[in-house]
Amino acid sequence: MIPFFAAVDPAFKLLAPRSADWLTILPEIAVAGLSLLCLLQAMLLPKALRALIPVTARTGLILVALMSLVAGPWTQAADVESFAGLLRQNLPTDGVRAVFLLSALLTSFLAERFLRERDAAVADYHHVLLVVTAAFMLLVQSNHFVTFFLALETAAVGLYVLVGYLRRSAASLEAGVKYLVAGGLSSALLLMGIVLVYGALGAVPGVTDSLNFTQIGKALAAQSAAGAVSPLTLAGVALILGGVAFKLGAFPFHAWIPDVYQGAPTPTTAFLGTASKAAGAFTLLILATGPFAPLAVKVAPLLAVGAVLTLLAGNLGALATTDVKRTLALSGVSHAGFILAAVTAALVLPGVDAFGYDVEQVVVLYLLAYVVGTFLTAQALVALPALEDHRRPQLALRGLLRRSPLLGGALGFGIGSLAGIPPSVGFIAKLLVLALLVAAKLWWVLGAALIGVAISIHYYFSILREAVVRPTEDDEELAPLELPLGTRVLVFVLAAASLLGGLFMLAGR
Amino acid sequence: MENTALAHHLLLAGLLFVLGLTGVLVRRNLLVVYMCLELMLAAATLALVAFSRFNRTMDGAVLVFFVITVAAAEVAVGLALIVALFRKRGTVQSDALTTLRD
Repeated sequence: MIPFFAAVDPAFKLLAPRSADWLTILPEIAVAGLSLLCLLQAMLLPKALRALIPVTARTGLILVALMSLVAGPWTQAADVESFAGLLRQNLPTDGVRAVFLLSALLTSFLAERFLRERDAAVADYHHVLLVVTAAFMLLVQSNHFVTFFLALETAAVGLYVLVGYLRRSAASLEAGVKYLVAGGLSSALLLMGIVLVYGALGAVPGVTDSLNFTQIGKALAAQSAAGAVSPLTLAGVALILGGVAFKLGAFPFHAWIPDVYQGAPTPTTAFLGTASKAAGAFTLLILATGPFAPLAVKVAPLLAVGAVLTLLAGNLGALATTDVKRTLALSGVSHAGFILAAVTAALVLPGVDAFGYDVEQVVVLYLLAYVVGTFLTAQALVALPALEDHRRPQLALRGLLRRSPLLGGALGFGIGSLAGIPPSVGFIAKLLVLALLVAAKLWWVLGAALIGVAISIHYYFSILREAVVRPTEDDEELAPLELPLGTRVLVFVLAAASLLGGLFMLAGR
Repeated sequence: MENTALAHHLLLAGLLFVLGLTGVLVRRNLLVVYMCLELMLAAATLALVAFSRFNRTMDGAVLVFFVITVAAAEVAVGLALIVALFRKRGTVQSDALTTLRD
């Protein structure tokens, strides 16, 4: 604490960050430092040693992940608030931070070779990637709308760069501009929502900080108990949830997803699909069950309808596509529907659990399973030579299993996990969500989820069929694909995780 | 008296916000669309200042600085993307963005 400020303003004593506060965000500080290190290396290292940059980034990410595994508040059951209530940590937020670290690590593995083949800067990509990761990690811990907005926007601006990263590709730029407009629109809606909530609740006596989640929750609880929630507040809450649904890609805010995912460089697509979706999903969860929990009666039906329509729109849309990246983008929408369904269950029946996991843990496990499936599939896509990154028709996958059994296996395990084939980790994750829906007696949503799974099997397997079963045309032999050792080890680890992760999830209880 | 003034501010902010939203949805020139996005942020900022003033809390006024900073960063990246797209395609009409489809 700085004594000078404490002498000037006594409030500083209460609000000033303590040294213990900084320790709680050590992982974020480390990741941000790592991102600067990437730039520094790009400036100082001779050209021959530039290959070290992604290696440093990955080593650093692994160290940070280990550090937060060892030092995180895993053992503390209660929430830990820091920075005078700006941040709040608990077991699920630590879990999501691990999802972001893992997702950034796997994206770096994809990006290194991908960018080098396209003659694009590797160091800059890693720099922005790590900044976005740190921002996402802060976002899920925020307990105050200022930190929330800042972290969200930092991540969003970084993602615009990552989507439009291939400056020589018209597709990448087009995707970047489309993401820019969609993201800017959602940020504006979100900000207007925050402003309305801030203004409407700021006039309530007893509320000193109407941007703080805890105080918003208390004020809303008192107001809804008295049946006097102002329309301004309701409009604000609706705008905020709409803005977050945009980031998550939930119906009716999913229109941007196919184009942006298709045009973005494939490593970015994988990062968008996992980390960005995880951020949207988790913020929706903490908002709906945190500050806006007193409005559950009004919010739950909206989310239930949203979940049903998201599941149907994603799966039906994916059925009509033939481009693999587009199919995976729209199937990602249906995964967002699954997460929405889990959040709805938490609102309908507070404290609902599946096999002993509460909703926050189920969402984290679902996201982890989704990361494994997505990156296995993305590995197979990236290793395939393509003239244009945004054109990846199913036909291009033909004979993949023959050209590289390992990549064929990666695609098989990845798609199997995404589709939820037992005993993959994706199956267990879907099972947990379905169990939540049964416990909360949300039969309509359960029905939509089951129909969604049935439809998804069809399009997932039409991708897999091209790679595995069909021989190449005219029996023409395609050249086998060579893979570096790192990729081979990575595919093995991910495939093992997709096979055994689910059993660990069940055994953990 | 003060409440009337707050309502006036909010009405103006709401009008600007809807104007921006309409522009984003209707206009075809990407630069105009981007300006409309900024207009929406400005409308939110105006409402923020009005609430901050009439609720007598400083938090909103402080948030304004953050919003302006964020908007500046967004504009820097956004204009860079739009300029790069113009160099590549020679147009910034959203009708011309048809590279991505199934």
